[in-house]
Amino acid sequence: MKRLFRALFTAGSSRAVPPLVIGFFFLFYIGVAFFTDETLITLMAFTRNSFVLALILALIPLNSVFRLVGETSRFMLMRSTMSGKNKEGLVDIFDEVVEIPVSATVPNLENRLAAVGYKTCRTGNVLAAWRGINSFPVRLFFLVGTFCIFTGILITTTSRSSLREMVVEGEPLPTPDGSGGIVERITLANSSGLILSRNLTMKVTPAVPGSKSREFGLYPPSRYGGAFVYPRYLGLALYLRFTAPDMPAGADTHCFLNVYPPGKEDNVVIPGSPYRVIFSIPEPETGSDRYISYMSDTITFGFKLLKGNDVLFSGSVPGGGEFVRDGFRLALPDVRRLVVTDLIYDNGVLFIWWSALLFCVAAALWLPIRVFSPRREMLFRFDHGVMTACSLAEGRSRKHAGVFHEMLDMIDAGKAGEE
Amino acid sequence: MVALKLIPHLLSWAGILLVLLRGYSERRSVVMKTSITGFTGGVAGAIILFRTFPETIPFGSIKTALAVSFFLLWVFSVAAVYSSTARRVPISRRGRFVNTSLCAGAVAFLAGMVAGAICTCRFPATASNTLTFIVLVLAAGALAYALVFCVRIIERLLPPSFTVSPSGMLIAVVAFLLFSSSSILRLDLFSPLSMKVMKGIHDFVHQFMESILIPDHLFVRSVVWKYIGILFSKGVGFWGGMVIWFTPAFLIVLAVNFERLPSVAHIRQGAQRRKLLAAAIKARRHRLVIPLLSVVILAAAAYQSSFPSTEYWDPKPIPISANQSGEIIIPKKGEVNLEDGKLHKYLFKQGDREARFFIMVTPEGQLTVDLDACAICKPDGYGQAEGSVICYYCKTLIPLETVGKPGGCNPVPVVFSVKGDNVAINGMTLINTWGSTVQATTRVKEGGK
Repeated sequence: MKRLFRALFTAGSSRAVPPLVIGFFFLFYIGVAFFTDETLITLMAFTRNSFVLALILALIPLNSVFRLVGETSRFMLMRSTMSGKNKEGLVDIFDEVVEIPVSATVPNLENRLAAVGYKTCRTGNVLAAWRGINSFPVRLFFLVGTFCIFTGILITTTSRSSLREMVVEGEPLPTPDGSGGIVERITLANSSGLILSRNLTMKVTPAVPGSKSREFGLYPPSRYGGAFVYPRYLGLALYLRFTAPDMPAGADTHCFLNVYPPGKEDNVVIPGSPYRVIFSIPEPETGSDRYISYMSDTITFGFKLLKGNDVLFSGSVPGGGEFVRDGFRLALPDVRRLVVTDLIYDNGVLFIWWSALLFCVAAALWLPIRVFSPRREMLFRFDHGVMTACSLAEGRSRKHAGVFHEMLDMIDAGKAGEE
Repeated sequence: MVALKLIPHLLSWAGILLVLLRGYSERRSVVMKTSITGFTGGVAGAIILFRTFPETIPFGSIKTALAVSFFLLWVFSVAAVYSSTARRVPISRRGRFVNTSLCAGAVAFLAGMVAGAICTCRFPATASNTLTFIVLVLAAGALAYALVFCVRIIERLLPPSFTVSPSGMLIAVVAFLLFSSSSILRLDLFSPLSMKVMKGIHDFVHQFMESILIPDHLFVRSVVWKYIGILFSKGVGFWGGMVIWFTPAFLIVLAVNFERLPSVAHIRQGAQRRKLLAAAIKARRHRLVIPLLSVVILAAAAYQSSFPSTEYWDPKPIPISANQSGEIIIPKKGEVNLEDGKLHKYLFKQGDREARFFIMVTPEGQLTVDLDACAICKPDGYGQAEGSVICYYCKTLIPLETVGKPGGCNPVPVVFSVKGDNVAINGMTLINTWGSTVQATTRVKEGGK
């Protein structure tokens, strides 16, 4: 049983697992590409619906966990070996292991090692020497990052669900259970950030009396009732009143207009009539912000009135105002800002964000360590007339090997004490 | 003239032979015999395929063989890096198998066969008369014989210390095959790879941004969005393709470079240690030569693919208008003969809207009317060459047999009718088809949402 577990652990913690799994999905991708142009979406849908594919993808985070355990136990083993407590499995943890018969006790190599920049520690019949910074923490960051990103991808692919809703000023936040507070105000303002040029804020009054009101911004999106509130596009909600010579009673209607960016057209069909109004927001004057109308809440619509496919006339009407001509009357008593918002139920996003952070930390640490101060270690153990010398280098291995060989020559020549 | 065109292909095969002879220096005779047999078999097999099936089948088969070899190269290069960076590498059975006569023969045979099949694609097999064809085959055979003779001499002149690793052999073989195929439009892998990469990256970036909830472009600084826009540009396909194209070679270079030097800690004479290490480093440097040379060959293949010497038939669109009932009437045999097998482009204008389309007859004799654009790419239009039309934007080759069928990067078909000796197209339908498909793709490709 123990051997079986060891074999499973060895297979599960193999460095070959991620390239094999990625290679498998790549092949699958190529296969799907023969049949559809929506290759990635199709592959994601397959993975979502297939337990086997999800299981194969799960091998990567599992492998990361196994490797984390393996790396940690190897690090612990190395520490206990360097402190003289362990003398087993040296071949597995060092690059080079060599045994030299000697007649004396451990010779004095410390001075020479110190002269070439190594720190030393003698414990009984063991002399350990090292220099540089161990990259173990970096590997930990990297492996945890790998775990996070593939766990995130797995969760996102298999369980993400989203709901597109219109968040309108003065209306309740449209949550599936209807428990959202009232959207008190939507604000769009210019931002001086490095990435974002505008800030969007949706202020929501508390749904439960006594709790605090909340503000939802752009990035990172906040969560509400377990869903990320992900603002997508801007729009306007209208209350429209229309009368025409052939329909003196008129008609009232509520509608959502997707008219941003300025210039984009959206149309409203007047219920129970052949009339249709095509709205747009005119481009602002040169030098003004394109979204100034949305920011300032001073909105003037350009419109075309159509009867069937015939354009009757066009004009402009301000929000809160009206347009009257030839017996036609178009009034917009209520115009409100809205944000087309996706409510995303997906816990994988958090893992992906964490992975980005961990990879950044790992890269920021690895590069200077690898370039300026890679870890190099030596161990000399004297046991019953045999000197076991071990060496390991994470970088600058040629120079380190030179020092190691020099130490071995000194031991062999018995010169160590004279140095 | 055709015999001259064969020279680069025969040289590629000679290059493969040279590398294999040096890589399997103890099995020269096996390599030589199997390679020549494979080459002859490849030529014969391809001739039979071309004479038996429509062109798409032999071209498709050879292209698939090339794609598989490139994929295997990727697998082996990753495995090579994996092996050379592992802490403990057991002497595997794989290593022993690579050096057997069976493996040497199989590699030489398969490489020779594909090289022979590629050469055959240069023959005007279906068009020429038998005598010309036999003369051509004999001339090619004589050239091949001369090259084999030269290869044997060159191989013997190389210094014994110049060795080739198994992964080095593989990259060289695949690089020569890709170089050889890159000059034949319908076998070229680099351009379709670039196109697939471009589409893959578009998909991936879009999905990634949605996954991590990145705000839409209206909230993002235009400078930042321009950088993101690079990922949606045409160039990303080319550079992504370059990365995929060259990575195996660089992985193999890295694998050779990461090979551990022999342990010399047990040797007590410093001079002997240094001598051993120096010899190992020298051998390692020699093993780097072939992979690095392969990078150059792959670069030549990519260049040949990106700037093909083929001239495309791309006539200037003829302005045309509709009659009073809104129909565009084009005679089959007027100033332009629509049934000559070439594509003929037209430009139809209606007010401030316009649509570009072409008419051609496919090899099966079917008349087809299509937009000069596809449903995916920017409407850069199509050119015609070597049994296919090419999308100028993404360089995808569309076999003439499939022109008129919708989907992928095929030209978007337009509804038409044949009235007597005329082709009739509804002007409004044409304009609307153009508007609904082409203008949408223009927006997408320019980075808009």
